[in-house]
Amino acid sequence: MTRRDLYRLGSRVLGGAIKLAVAVPALAFLVSPLRKKVAGQGGASDSGGSMETLTSLSQLKVGVPRSFPVIRDRNDAWVTYPSEPVGSVWLIRQPEGAKPEVIAYSAECPHLGCAINLTTDAREFLCPCHTSAFDFEGKPKNQVPPRPMDRLDVELTAETDPKVRVRFQKFRTLAEEKIPLA
Amino acid sequence: MRNPLADWINERTGYRAFARTFSDQVMPGGARWRYVFGTTLATVFLVQAFSGLMMMLAYSPSSNSAWGSVYYISNVMWMGWIIRGLHHFGAQTVMVLLGMHLVQTLLSGAYRKPREVNWWLGLALFVLVVGFGHTGYQLPWDQKGYWATKVVTNIMGGAPVVGPYIKTIVVGGNDYGNQTLTRFYGLHVGVLPVLLFLCLAAHVYLAKRHGLTPPAHVAPGREENYYPAQTFRNTAVSALVVAIMMGLVLYHGGAPLDAPADPSTPDYPARPEWFFLSLFQMLKSFPGRLEWVGSIVIPGSILTVLALLPLLEKVLPWKVLHFLACMFLFVLVGGAGYFTAAALWSDAHDEGFKEARRKADAAEARARFLASSPQAGIPPDGAGFLLRRDPFTEGKAVLEKKCMSCHVLDGQVAGEQSAADLTDFGSRAWIRGLLEEPSSAKYYGKVAKCDGMAEWKKTSKLTAKELDDVADFVASFAKIPADITPDEWLSDETVVKHPGSEPFQKECGKCHVIDGYTEGGVRDSPRLFAWGSPQWTERMIRKPGAPDLYGYLDPQFQMPAFGRDQLTEDDLKAMIRYLRGDYPMPMDRSSKAASPEAAGNVPAAAGHLP
Repeated sequence: MTRRDLYRLGSRVLGGAIKLAVAVPALAFLVSPLRKKVAGQGGASDSGGSMETLTSLSQLKVGVPRSFPVIRDRNDAWVTYPSEPVGSVWLIRQPEGAKPEVIAYSAECPHLGCAINLTTDAREFLCPCHTSAFDFEGKPKNQVPPRPMDRLDVELTAETDPKVRVRFQKFRTLAEEKIPLA
Repeated sequence: MRNPLADWINERTGYRAFARTFSDQVMPGGARWRYVFGTTLATVFLVQAFSGLMMMLAYSPSSNSAWGSVYYISNVMWMGWIIRGLHHFGAQTVMVLLGMHLVQTLLSGAYRKPREVNWWLGLALFVLVVGFGHTGYQLPWDQKGYWATKVVTNIMGGAPVVGPYIKTIVVGGNDYGNQTLTRFYGLHVGVLPVLLFLCLAAHVYLAKRHGLTPPAHVAPGREENYYPAQTFRNTAVSALVVAIMMGLVLYHGGAPLDAPADPSTPDYPARPEWFFLSLFQMLKSFPGRLEWVGSIVIPGSILTVLALLPLLEKVLPWKVLHFLACMFLFVLVGGAGYFTAAALWSDAHDEGFKEARRKADAAEARARFLASSPQAGIPPDGAGFLLRRDPFTEGKAVLEKKCMSCHVLDGQVAGEQSAADLTDFGSRAWIRGLLEEPSSAKYYGKVAKCDGMAEWKKTSKLTAKELDDVADFVASFAKIPADITPDEWLSDETVVKHPGSEPFQKECGKCHVIDGYTEGGVRDSPRLFAWGSPQWTERMIRKPGAPDLYGYLDPQFQMPAFGRDQLTEDDLKAMIRYLRGDYPMPMDRSSKAASPEAAGNVPAAAGHLP
């Protein structure tokens, strides 16, 4: 190897090292939101673990869907917003004796994430964005949505008028499977 | 090795020929280590541009979001501390390299004909880099940047005639705020980079046109192409410089971030970055009226002399000019060194400065802790409220300022004690002590006209056990929620069945009225429903003369009321939470033991109140 070859090699190696020293942290910085810990709009207090009390059973009429906001502290990157609505949930009370007694659906459309509402005659669910429609069992009524409405875990407390508690979670849109977002 | 894609592009652009005009440049006298400065500077400029671009993806320029976003970059985002650290130390590296480049150019006389224009472009680049430093320093909107900017822009405003107008335009008004940040941000990431790019491109073009300045005596036959000998030297030094920057980042754990900017801080010890310390120190030697001489005339004259150097050869023989230029440089470097040392020496021997810096460091640590604490977090209206709503910072300060001229806290009182000791106020221990010895100085011994409790004690038949129970019972009042009436409270069976309830009703109830529970009547006294709760204390501070509190006393014996004009809502809440020990503290045991309030009564860190 000549001296000139050594210079060429040295320039390549050291130049590459400089580029790596900047590129590696930059890449990590860019993909930062993929790390669960950092996920901006889903910080610690926003993760799917906890159960939220939405209402009491006596407030619900059998077979009539009602929507309830989920209120909790929200982390948006560096800001902490104390108790504000972070989403909403549809609750439908089932006939006496049925298990479970209450069904909860996320109001976020599995198609592209718009908020699902009732049709004007209140006979089925309809998403205002791309007309995804669902019956009260959450089953799609047209080809638009990729999967049924997302059911959420429900828990009733042991009181005489039980409180309805729901595990509020978000799921990946457009997927045919129900995949929880971290 | 043939690369068809590169060939294709080359056929259409001719980039290889262009690149060869650099790499095939002939170096009379061969490659040298002393030629590395330009390229190394360019490397660091690139690192700055790249790391700056990365931060633009996360930074938010407004007075309520800047600090939070910088905190997020440094403390939460993956390797954000390295990116920001590189940018921070890169800025200082540019200053150092630029200084060395300038000194070298001056010593070798490289500014002489035909390179005058390139010398001027270099000086312009120097001014731009200083501009980058000043505008970037302020972007985190922390104390350091805020106060430094205030000083620098006021220097600008001190310039004769146009100064005040220029300052108002740059600051975006008379006050420092959102407009200052957006303007500085625009300058830092938009205007200055474009100017820098133009000057740099011209500088490089001219450097290439004139070639490097060869040493005075070149041995014949020592010619070499730029590539690879010089390229290797450039790359090696660039790599070394980047390695030093990275080393500084790792050693310091990234760039510093002071507490969020707070215009109301009475004693923030603002200091510029180290490379401006000499100018800072020099300003101290000028009387205020002539400040602009030190801040504008002297630096301006230095720049002017430097700019005129290449032209002076027309009037002075080169040897004389070169000698004078070297002397000038020697005086400059010596003067800067002297003033820098003087600034460091004077700060190191200034107890006032050290104390102010210690306070600022404590505020910084507290702000960072609160930002990371799940019980606090950065509020939506901005990081400035982290400390302003913090009981441990603001609550304590307000309490010391407003209450301690009469009250005692942690054994301290500012004036002459004429009111109760507030240490652990509302706790079981405080109440139990009161029931034991109401006329002690800790309770009502020094309070005029408040001898009711002492009188009760003389005739009281309660046993020690009963007093314990009463203390437990009264301590539970502090937890009564704000939206509950006495009736609702009494409907809870545990209240009337409490062992302290009966003795309380029997003895305390003779004077203290609780509607539907005790009658009172023997003597005037404050009502005790929800006593010690935030809502009770708030009312006591806002309206101590209310009929249900101490309205029965003559006004001159009542505690003075603190209305909203004297005590903001935020301050009042922070103060009450401080009294209750209701604020998050780091989990470090030693620091908890060191603050008796935190270890005191109501469980600390009982969640955050809105």
